[in-house]
Amino acid sequence: MTDAMRPIARRTLLAGAAASPVLMTLAEARAQGVAPRRGGVLSTIITPEPPILILGVNNQGPTLIVGSKIYQGLLTVTPQLDPAPMLAKSWTRSDDGLVYTFTLEQGVKWHDGRDFTSEDVVFSLMKFHMEVNPRARAILQRIDKAETPDAHTVRFTLKAPFEPFLLIFDVTGCAIVPKHVYDGTDYRNNPANATPIGTGPFRMAEWQRGNFIRLVRNEQYWKQGQPYLDGITYRIVPDSQSRGLALQTGQVQMTSSNDIEPFDVPRFQQQANLQVAQNGWELFAPLSWIEINNRLDNLKDARFRRAMAHAIDRNFIAQRLWFGVGKPATSPIASSTRFHDPSVQMPGFNPREATALLDAMGLRPNAQGIRASIKMMQIPYGEVWNRLSEYLRQALRQVGIEVTLESTDVAGWVRRLAAWEFETTINFVYQWGDPTLGVERTYVTSNIQKVAFTNTAGYSNPEVDRLFEAARNAVSADDRRRLFSDVQKRLVEDVPLVWLMELVFPTIHDRRLRNVITSGTGVHAPYDDVFFAS
Amino acid sequence: MGAAKLLRFLAARSVKAAIVVLAIVVFQFVLIRLAPGDPASVIAGQSGAADPLFMEQLRAQFGLDRPMHEQLLIYLRDMLTLDLGFSHRQQQPVATLIGERLPATLLLTLTAFLFAVTAGVSLGVMAARRVGRAADSLITVIALTFYATPIFWVGLLLVLVFSVWLEWLPSFGMFTVGADLTGLAYAADVAKHLILPSLTLGLFFLAIYARLARASMLEVADQDFVRTARAKGVPEGRIVRAHVLRNALLPVITFAGIQAGQLVGGSILVETVFAWPGIGRLAFDALLARDYATLLGVFFCTAVMVVVFNLITDLLYALVDPRVEVA
Amino acid sequence: MSFWKRFARNIGALVGLAILVLVGLMAVLAPVLFPFSPWEMRGIPFMGPGEAGFLLGSDSLGRDVAAGIAHGALVSFLVGGVSTVAALALGVTLGAVAGYGGGWIDDAIMRFTEFFQTIPSFVLAVVLVAIFTPSITSIVVAIAVVSWPPVTRVVRAEFLSLRSREFVQAAEVLGRGPIAIMFTEILPNALSPIIVLASLMVATAILLESSLSFLGLGDPNLMSWGFMIGSGRSVIRIAWWMSVFPGVAIFLTVLALNLVGEGLNDALNPRLARRRGTLPA
Repeated sequence: MTDAMRPIARRTLLAGAAASPVLMTLAEARAQGVAPRRGGVLSTIITPEPPILILGVNNQGPTLIVGSKIYQGLLTVTPQLDPAPMLAKSWTRSDDGLVYTFTLEQGVKWHDGRDFTSEDVVFSLMKFHMEVNPRARAILQRIDKAETPDAHTVRFTLKAPFEPFLLIFDVTGCAIVPKHVYDGTDYRNNPANATPIGTGPFRMAEWQRGNFIRLVRNEQYWKQGQPYLDGITYRIVPDSQSRGLALQTGQVQMTSSNDIEPFDVPRFQQQANLQVAQNGWELFAPLSWIEINNRLDNLKDARFRRAMAHAIDRNFIAQRLWFGVGKPATSPIASSTRFHDPSVQMPGFNPREATALLDAMGLRPNAQGIRASIKMMQIPYGEVWNRLSEYLRQALRQVGIEVTLESTDVAGWVRRLAAWEFETTINFVYQWGDPTLGVERTYVTSNIQKVAFTNTAGYSNPEVDRLFEAARNAVSADDRRRLFSDVQKRLVEDVPLVWLMELVFPTIHDRRLRNVITSGTGVHAPYDDVFFAS
Repeated sequence: MGAAKLLRFLAARSVKAAIVVLAIVVFQFVLIRLAPGDPASVIAGQSGAADPLFMEQLRAQFGLDRPMHEQLLIYLRDMLTLDLGFSHRQQQPVATLIGERLPATLLLTLTAFLFAVTAGVSLGVMAARRVGRAADSLITVIALTFYATPIFWVGLLLVLVFSVWLEWLPSFGMFTVGADLTGLAYAADVAKHLILPSLTLGLFFLAIYARLARASMLEVADQDFVRTARAKGVPEGRIVRAHVLRNALLPVITFAGIQAGQLVGGSILVETVFAWPGIGRLAFDALLARDYATLLGVFFCTAVMVVVFNLITDLLYALVDPRVEVA
Repeated sequence: MSFWKRFARNIGALVGLAILVLVGLMAVLAPVLFPFSPWEMRGIPFMGPGEAGFLLGSDSLGRDVAAGIAHGALVSFLVGGVSTVAALALGVTLGAVAGYGGGWIDDAIMRFTEFFQTIPSFVLAVVLVAIFTPSITSIVVAIAVVSWPPVTRVVRAEFLSLRSREFVQAAEVLGRGPIAIMFTEILPNALSPIIVLASLMVATAILLESSLSFLGLGDPNLMSWGFMIGSGRSVIRIAWWMSVFPGVAIFLTVLALNLVGEGLNDALNPRLARRRGTLPA
């Protein structure tokens, strides 16, 4: 069957650093005795409800998960973070690292029946995302020239070499949107935003606000015979207890992201018909830390921050709070990204060392055993984060640092974070597969801005700045690896932040549901190959 | 009451009601602008990325770059034409959003309300007729129990018992998604989903009505016209129905009018526990997302609802009040 | 018949009083019974009642539920008490001025009160706490702001009926100022419905605080019963005791306050008292 041959044929065309896509092929499935079966509707959950489904205009987690079934990117990534084909079946990179040429799939149609062409790609990148999508903009600005030699070829010429360039082409970075719908309109207020038009395997059928989003099979999908599912229904269930119950009783066959609180995960691990997957977050690799305002007294002293790091048992956090989902952080660069240096170790759990450091700073305990008092703004992202701040308060109190917790909601938290109006808080950010894309922003002096998710801690070290810049501009991956190793050593010495956990969001699904996680983006894959085994 | 008199009464009340609603909207408008952060910061926070240009664009798009008094005037002007504005966050007109959610809340609150009033008053009357006896004590204890128990807690326990242990009823949602039921089958499906949330919301108010009905029954039963009726040998059942109950209902009605708004408040909790797609939850999410237009729209609707309920209360009062009947 | 005798005739009220005394004792003795912070992680998480030395079990971080309930009693009383006092101060003042002043002052105050009653109180409390960020202060203020209107109505009604009494007129003839008359002559005579109302308000405040906590709007630094249910509800399936026991504590306290309120109501029955012209001071 031609179906089975196509991915293999495609693979031989791959150039550059491309690796084999790990998507399970039909042949492999046959070999395992689980041939894809047509039919069935996947009922799952999405929380919180996405405001709209136009990727780029909105890039919140839930929007990305649902939108990635409707829209597609030029590429996706493997669990090892190598690029893999999607709307582009192959690509080349010139030796000087400046020119990227993509060959697009043929016969791809938008949900409204129009043909997908290279014009759509250039419009999406150079106009649409350039205007609405801040994260993509930062990378797309490096493009000097975008050309369309023919309807199925796109060529980008960069101003300077940029090694992680291909990572932005996943649907979560740069979804391809239809030019004929958006060109020349106000992208954010386009009336067409109510019904997203993509190239993906599923189309939007019905959206009852506060209730569910129903996607149905795209009968004109460009992969023959796919998708296997008849549709996907995302139910909106605001209460975590109800979500757990829905999964337990089989009302939904899959949960992802933050749907299930960590303490419920062990329960589902024991439920025979369910599988708990911890992979599929490699591209995002969220890393959590205590964000410390490096401008304030005590907190600006590296010894104090180091003492904080020594006071905290990251294994306790991983085991007791996250119930083994995810793992303790060891460095500012997450272990799933290419440039993680396993030899770098941040200060370990050692309360005695912590008190010695505080003693050395002249911070003696008073009658209640308190040496210093700090405030910690809670991160308003759910229950487990509250438990974390409660643990940190007790742990820091053990070494004489008294912590007062401050409660906020998302708006208040972002405002205070962006305005530098905090002493300490908890934060976590995505690393986006490459330190230049997701790590640099947190530490370099040039990114100390009054905007959330920049270097709001106010940390500044010229040597760190220099290393990040060199790594950004280096052409070869080996050079970059060396530079990032140096960065990790410096950062661990300065402890500008106390890194806590490499987060993983469990995907829990019915065992009959196959191919749930096949890429480095997990539940953000198009799901054209997902099926219910009989 | 004559038709003309009734009309005049309604007109006067409507003007007063409009003023109250307007005052509430202005009050809430100012209040929620005091909240730290704005919709742009929420979107930035949930996307995990932002740059100054992005924030500026968002604020301009939301109309937040204008001075606040100007924003208020624009809002009030739109409201006069019954335009509740546009939710930039949800990319929908607020009227549409509320229109989608209001029926669910009305269904939930009205069911809970009817259940609470009928069951509550019946229990209260039963208790009053057996005052001091075991049945009275039992009813009083039951009423007090529900009155003293946090409402969300009742909800959680009901879910545990009826959904988890007994598996009789669905634990959340308003209907079975994907079942594509129509007609009676659909109604039955919704009814099944409605039982636990309306029971949860209703039980608390049931307690109040039972206590209120019992107290006012006892008070009225003590009054002269009842004693007279009894002395005249009117059968006890008729006394209760024709004299006592009718008068005892007055405070219950008054209270019900006041409570109409509280039901909406309680529905925030119940809608959270049962994932009921109503406006209580819409309002809470809008509050956290600083979706000003949606939040104000919900406040407007609740205010109108409360005012209308109060109006109905007054009319009912006129119907039940024996003095009006004599006139 | 003395006040106490009338109160004691009501068995429910006595039971309520007994519960309140016990809870009060628990609040006072918490530092003795559990001489450690209720936040302290003292053992294995999710231990059932009676296991591993935890009387009422341990929570998801290995904290002692019993210690939390004991220490939380004080917080619940504090939230209930302070917010009630604040609401009373506002409500009594407005009600007194409205009832005694009459005329346009009465009108204005009553419109103002009606206005607040039109806004669903729980919704308003949620908005206020969210806006001023959750802390013990904002919670108490929010509860007070939504609880004063009934006080105003009751006090106004009392003042309206008492202001034309002889003893008030006598004081006016003697040339005493309106404020002195309001607070030394009328108010003491209007106390009984206020006392009854206050006991119920404390109960409502405790319930309100727990509802706010349930929605994630509690003070993160105080171990209150509402907080405990809020943090226990999501694990109710694996650790029912985490939310059942604080729930029972709330239930018993609120119940007791209501029973006492009813007892007080019977004992101070304003209708009977008013017929006699004066109230037991």
